[in-house]
Amino acid sequence: MNRDYAKYALRRVLQAIVVVLLAYVFTFVVISVLPGDPVTNTLRNPQNGFTEEEITRIVSYYGLDRPVHEQLWDSLSRLVVGDLGVSLRSGLPVTRLIGEVVGSTLVLALSALAVALVLAFAIGFGTRYLPKRGGQGLLRAFPALFLSVPNFVVGLVLISVFAFQLGLFRVIDSEGGAATSFAAIALGIPVSAQVAEVLIANLDHEAGQEYAAVARSRGLGRTRLFLRHLLKPSSLPVVTVIALTVGELLGGAVITEQIFGRTGVGSLVERSVTTQDLPVLQAVVTLAAVTFVVVNLVADLLYPLLDPRVRLAGGRSRGKAEVAAP
Amino acid sequence: MTVAAVPSALPAVRRGQAAKVPPTVAVSFAVLAVVLSWSVVPGLFTAQDPVNGVPADKFLRPSTAHLFGTDHLGRDLFTRVVHGTASSVTSALIAVGIGVVVGGLIGLVAGFAGGWVDSVLARLVDVLLAIPSFLLAVVVVSSLGFQTVNAAIATGVSAVGVFARVMRSEVLKTRQAVFVEASYLQGGSRWHILVRHVLPNASRSVLMLAVLQFGLSILVIAGLAFLGYGDPPPASDWGLLIATGKDYPLAAWLVYAPAFVTIATVLSVNRISRWLRKTD
Repeated sequence: MNRDYAKYALRRVLQAIVVVLLAYVFTFVVISVLPGDPVTNTLRNPQNGFTEEEITRIVSYYGLDRPVHEQLWDSLSRLVVGDLGVSLRSGLPVTRLIGEVVGSTLVLALSALAVALVLAFAIGFGTRYLPKRGGQGLLRAFPALFLSVPNFVVGLVLISVFAFQLGLFRVIDSEGGAATSFAAIALGIPVSAQVAEVLIANLDHEAGQEYAAVARSRGLGRTRLFLRHLLKPSSLPVVTVIALTVGELLGGAVITEQIFGRTGVGSLVERSVTTQDLPVLQAVVTLAAVTFVVVNLVADLLYPLLDPRVRLAGGRSRGKAEVAAP
Repeated sequence: MTVAAVPSALPAVRRGQAAKVPPTVAVSFAVLAVVLSWSVVPGLFTAQDPVNGVPADKFLRPSTAHLFGTDHLGRDLFTRVVHGTASSVTSALIAVGIGVVVGGLIGLVAGFAGGWVDSVLARLVDVLLAIPSFLLAVVVVSSLGFQTVNAAIATGVSAVGVFARVMRSEVLKTRQAVFVEASYLQGGSRWHILVRHVLPNASRSVLMLAVLQFGLSILVIAGLAFLGYGDPPPASDWGLLIATGKDYPLAAWLVYAPAFVTIATVLSVNRISRWLRKTD
């Protein structure tokens, strides 16, 4: 088992590294091969007042006049040593630009995840606790509803009700605790739907198992049955789902940060898109891919340790055969 | 005799099928029918001008004359929502089309060819899945230029990974089936097996995913339009209407009406996709 696990872990780590490098190349290709040349378009804008000679000098300074594959090789070899290049707009190193805002997004994403988990488990518990005809159906419809509401609408409604009408938080103080919690709710609601769907399906499955019937026949109440028996086996697969929602949290942050006026990675993306700041976009996409890959790697590596029922492809059955032989 | 028998048999079949459709699914189909007809013949549902308003009638509350009220230029919001439907819905269809065709092909080739081709394509799909889909759509649309068509293409690109993964797993599942082995033994060519056995078996899963992605694409495209990455005003994509509406907090209907239409549409699509999955 241990040797199999080590092999499995090594393979997954190598795959993760390859995926991250490819994500960087992919973004580079999308940005530089697709039609449209935002860099020279910006430079040639008459408002910027560059002469033709200056443009040539700037373009060759950034190495943009060389063949695409040379540029790619260059930027890849810089990536390996942790250099993500320089922002075309501000001239500052991209790592510094991202470093300044990454904390705010991390706080937002983690609080949104917390909101999503609390909501999902509340819904999950509700579907086990409420009687079939007393609101359970309504509760079961919640994830589908959450998945159908654009997250910017949730944000706008929260702001209009809780900031403008009830005065619970001020829009100006966008990084404050109250504003952050409401931003987290807006970002967390669609995520909670994905977690809740899997959780409800698992709870239904576990509740139909014989051990649950035995526990019920021994007179265990609904709450204790949920907490002591159903919760653990049902929430283990949720680990994988949570890892998959990382993308949702990072992508959704672009809109949520814009609505709530926060300065984070999302608003940096928004600004870089309007100013066509390609190195920043490339770095953010790579960072997002790294986050996604690392979180999913950790989840996949943890999972066989958390849930002993999971077998690694082929590994466990061979172990059993060896035990059975003598 | 036979002529008389045919009409009497038809309603029986129809009634039998109708009984199996839950009421919420029937409502969902009705909502989609309305939305689709809005996008095909908007003029049938409203006689007012979506672009030029009556300035004296600005910021009117929803009423019988103006179902969704009027905006800051005195334009009827219902008319603008109806005329914005075509672009909001067709761009979602374009996105799903790109996902199905490109993703489906990648999955098909990967699953069918196996070996190193499969490994290479699997890494490509991993990359597509590792980049948050909304972020990917934003980057692609920024590279192509801010237009609704490009937003649709970007959304499609961000959906390719999911379609490829589902198609590949379906192909692998079918390829191992006994009837495919039998077909090989009877001398069936790879092409024959692909067209006759693999594609029909995979199409159901891909169709269900396509319906789900259609709803998701409406949301993503609305998000891109909300950020201003689609066609500029006077276009009236739902996301753009909501984005403009949010600047007038005192006229709350400017946000709520287009938001309601968006939510109703996506909710209906999701309900239908869930129903399809259940009847599988």
